[in-house]
Amino acid sequence: MARISFFLIFCIAVISATGALADDIVVVVNQKNGVNKLSKDEVIDIFLGRNRQLSSGVTALPLDLPGVSPERETFYSRLTGKSMSEINAYWARLIFSGRASPPTQVRSQEETMQMVMDNRSAIGYLERSKVSSQVKVVYELGAK
Amino acid sequence: MINPFHRGILFGTIVSAVATVFFIVSIFVVITAFTTAAETQKYIAKHLEELLDTVESTAGVACFVEDKQLAAELVAGLLKNEGIASVVVKASNKELAHGIRAGLSENDASFESASQPITRKIISPFSKDQVIGEITIQQDVNAINRQVSRKVYFTVSMLAIQLILVAAAVVLILYYIVVRPIRNLSTNLRRIDPTAGEKLLLPAGHEGNEISGLADDINKLTETLVIALGNEKLLRQQREIDEKKFRSIFDNATSGIFIADEDGHIHSYNRSFIKLTHFPIYEHGHSPKISHVPWRNRDRLDELIISCIEKTIDQSVDLALNEDPPIWLNVALASIGEGQVQGVISDVTQSKLSEATALHLAVTDELTGLSNRVGLERFFPEAIRQNMGVPLVMMMVDIKGFRHVNEYLGLPAGDQLLKIASSRMLSCLKKTDWLGRLGGDDFVVVLQGGAGRATAESVATRIAEILRKPVEINDTTINSGSAIGIACYPTDGIDLHGLLRSTEFALKYAKSAGKGDVQFFVPEMVADAEQRHKLEAELGLAIQRGELRLFYQPIIDLKEDRLVGAEALVRWQHPVRGLVPPDDFIPIAEESDLICDIGLWVLETACQQLATWQAQGKNLYLSVNVSVRQIPDALPASLLKETIVRHGIPASSLVLEITEGVMLSDINKGISWIQDLRNEGFRLYMDDFGTGYSSLSYLKRFPINVVKIDKSFIRDMNEETNDRVLVQAICAMSKALGLQVVAEGIENEGQMIFLKEIGCDYGQGYYFSKPVPASDFDRLALNGPGFLVTKV
Repeated sequence: MARISFFLIFCIAVISATGALADDIVVVVNQKNGVNKLSKDEVIDIFLGRNRQLSSGVTALPLDLPGVSPERETFYSRLTGKSMSEINAYWARLIFSGRASPPTQVRSQEETMQMVMDNRSAIGYLERSKVSSQVKVVYELGAK
Repeated sequence: MINPFHRGILFGTIVSAVATVFFIVSIFVVITAFTTAAETQKYIAKHLEELLDTVESTAGVACFVEDKQLAAELVAGLLKNEGIASVVVKASNKELAHGIRAGLSENDASFESASQPITRKIISPFSKDQVIGEITIQQDVNAINRQVSRKVYFTVSMLAIQLILVAAAVVLILYYIVVRPIRNLSTNLRRIDPTAGEKLLLPAGHEGNEISGLADDINKLTETLVIALGNEKLLRQQREIDEKKFRSIFDNATSGIFIADEDGHIHSYNRSFIKLTHFPIYEHGHSPKISHVPWRNRDRLDELIISCIEKTIDQSVDLALNEDPPIWLNVALASIGEGQVQGVISDVTQSKLSEATALHLAVTDELTGLSNRVGLERFFPEAIRQNMGVPLVMMMVDIKGFRHVNEYLGLPAGDQLLKIASSRMLSCLKKTDWLGRLGGDDFVVVLQGGAGRATAESVATRIAEILRKPVEINDTTINSGSAIGIACYPTDGIDLHGLLRSTEFALKYAKSAGKGDVQFFVPEMVADAEQRHKLEAELGLAIQRGELRLFYQPIIDLKEDRLVGAEALVRWQHPVRGLVPPDDFIPIAEESDLICDIGLWVLETACQQLATWQAQGKNLYLSVNVSVRQIPDALPASLLKETIVRHGIPASSLVLEITEGVMLSDINKGISWIQDLRNEGFRLYMDDFGTGYSSLSYLKRFPINVVKIDKSFIRDMNEETNDRVLVQAICAMSKALGLQVVAEGIENEGQMIFLKEIGCDYGQGYYFSKPVPASDFDRLALNGPGFLVTKV
C-alpha cells in the first residue's frame, strides 16, 4: 500500500513537471455565443456528457483533441484530476447505453480554433498561445 | 447361548454410543445453527459491502449521467448474487433502476421480515464532495437461511460421521478386547468340570490383564467351592449316619416319643407311642391328633401342650388310659420351638400301683387297719374342704390301763387290747365318722356332717361305756377304761394342729383323776395346762431352793394307845402361793422325773429326822411314800442302805409305803425290789389298799409287812354297812396272811372304837392329829400318849 502511494505521488510529480512545461490551457467558444464565463463544473458537465445545455440556451458541442495529444491529457488532468485512461474507461461504460456521447474528436488545436470560429455552439480547449481574438475564452485552466 | 446383542455389553455400548452421538450431535446442531447463522449474516453483509465497492464507480457513472441503461445493467449484475433480494439505484431524487430477484415479489414475507437494507451514497466521480445518488440493496433472508442450513447440515454430518466412526471403533475394540474373551471364558467355564480338577484356561493374548485376572479369580473361587463342597459332602454323610443312628434310637425306644403342635396334631411318633397309648392308628393314621389317644381326660393333655408352648416351661403329667384296669402313662412335654412340643411317654402303671400301696401303707396303722397320723393329716384338710364350714367334732380316746396291760401281760396282749378297743369303737360310729390311731393308745374320732355337742357327747358316752366292759386276753380279764377329750372345729381350732392341741388338752383333763372320763375342750384348760407347766418348772427349782417341807402325821398303836411313828408327808412352801397341798403338785411330779428327786429329798430328810429322834432317845419310826416311778432303779436297796448307815439309824425305823400300782408295773422287778428291801431289814406298807387293781393273789405274792386301808373305806364306814364289812374282812384277811393293818383317815371316836373292836393294829387321821411340822410333832411326842389320850 505504501508502495502504491509512493508510486502515485511519483506519477503526479512527473505529470506536474510535464504540465509545467506546457502552456496554460483555456476553454474557448464562438464570439457569438452568449456565454462569457463558465464554471469548472459547467466545463466538466459539458465535456463529460452530463449537461450540454448552456445558460444561453445554446446546446454546446464539445471538441476533443486527439487521444495522444499532451494538451488533451493536461486538460482532463487539470479539469478532473483524472488520467486519460480513466477518462477513456469512463466513456467506454457510457458508450454502450448511448445515453451520453463523448465530445467530437478534432485532429488539432488549429482545427479546434477553426471549428470554434465557424460554429457558434462549438466549445473547445487549446493552449493560450494558440488563442486568437476571434474566439472567446470562457474558462482558464492555469498551471497549478 | 447368550445373544451378544441382547442386553450384552456390546448392545449396551452400542446403545450408549448411539445415545451419546445423538446427544452430542443435537447440541452441535443448536450451537452450529446459532454460530453459523451469525457468521453467515456477517459474511453476507461483508460480501454485499464488497459488491457495492465493486459497483460503486459504475454506479457513480450511471448516476452522474443519469444513465438508466447502465443502472439497470448494474442492478441485473447485482441480482446475480444469491444473497440479494432487490436493488434500487437512485440519482438525486430520481430512480434510475429497480430490480427484484426472480420468484420474489414486493409483498413476500421475506421482504417484510427482511433485515435493514444496505444503502450506499454515490459520490460523483469528478467531485469528492458531491453526492449524486444512492444504491440500496435488500438482503434475501431465505437465501441466508438456506446457506445456514447447508452449513449446519454439513457440519453436523461431518460430526455425526466422525462420532459414528469413533463409536463403531469403540464397539469393535470392546468386542475384541472385552466381549469376545468373556464369551470365550464363559464357554470354557461351561465345558470344564471343577470337581475333576479342571481349570479355566487363561485366554490367549490377555495375559496379565483384567480378563486373565478374572480367570484366575474364577479358578481360585472354584477351588474354594470344590473344597467346601467336599467338606459339605463329608458332613452330610456324617449327618446321614447320625440321623440313622438317632432314627433307630427313636424307633426302638421303649418310651413313646411324639412331636405335636399346639392344635394337638402329631407330626412324628415312634412305634412305642402307638403301643403304649393304644393309639387307634387305623382310624386316624392320616392326621393323627393327641386327643385321639383314648385318655380318660382328653382335654388335659391339650391344655398342657398349649401351656408348654406359650410359657416354654417343661410339663409332666400322669394320665390314665380309658382301660380297665387303668393304664397310667407319664407324659413329659418339652417345648422345642416353632410352636411344637416334644413328648416322651412312659408306662407308670406299676409305679402308680406301688405308689398307691405305699400311700395306703403310709396312712394306715398296721395293727388296727385304721388310718394313722399321716392319714389324719391327709383326711382332715379334705374333710374341712368338703364340709364347707359345717362344724366337725374331734375326739381323742385314751385307753386306760393299756400301759399296764403292755407291761404285765406283754406287748401282744396290749396289741390285742388295742384291736378289741378299735373294733368296739367302730361299732359305735356311723359310716361318715372317721376313726384312726395316732400311735400308742391314742385314738382319734372325727364326726362329720354337722354333729352337735349333744351328738358328740352321746357318741363319747357310748364309747366310754363300751370300753369299760371287761376284756378277756389270754384268759385274763382286764378291766380297762377310757378317757375322751373332745374339741370342735372351727371353734376350738381352725386347723388340724390347733384342733389336735385342743383335743389333747381336753383328753389330758379327762385323764386327770376325778374329772370324768369325757371332757369337752374349754379354753380354761389351756390356762390350766400352762399353770401346770409353770408349776412343774417351779417345782424343779423348789427342791434346790429348799421350799419343800416334811410334815409328819402320827401313827397310833390302837391296842396300846401309844405313838409309835409317823407318816412323812411332803409339802411345798411356795414363796407366793404359800403352802401347796400335795394333790396339786405330786401328780405333776409323777408325770416327770421330778418325783424321783423329791423322793430322794424325802428319804434324806426323813432319815435326818429319825437320827434326830434317835439322838433324843425317841423310839419312833417314819414311813415315806414311794412312787411307782421310783421302783426299782430310782430307789435301789443299796441307796437306802447307804443312807441309813450314813445317818446311823436302823433299817427297822424306816418304812416304805408303796401303792398297788407297783403290782401293775413289771411285776417281777417289783417283787425282787421288795425282796431286796426286806432282806436289808426295811419294812414295807401297802398304801391305799382297796382302791385299785388290788387282788388277794398279789397280797400273797408281795412280801409286805402292813396293809393300809384307804381312807375312803374308813370315811364311809359308819353309813355304809358294806364298807364296814369290807374293812372287817380286810382286817381278818390280813390277820390270816400274817399282815398288820393300818387304818387311814380316822376322823372320830366312833371309827376308832370300831377299828379297835375288829382288831385293827394301827390308826392314823385327824382324830389324832393332822400332819404337822417337825417342831410341832416334837411337842406332840413330848406330850406323849397322854396328849393322844386326852384327845380320845
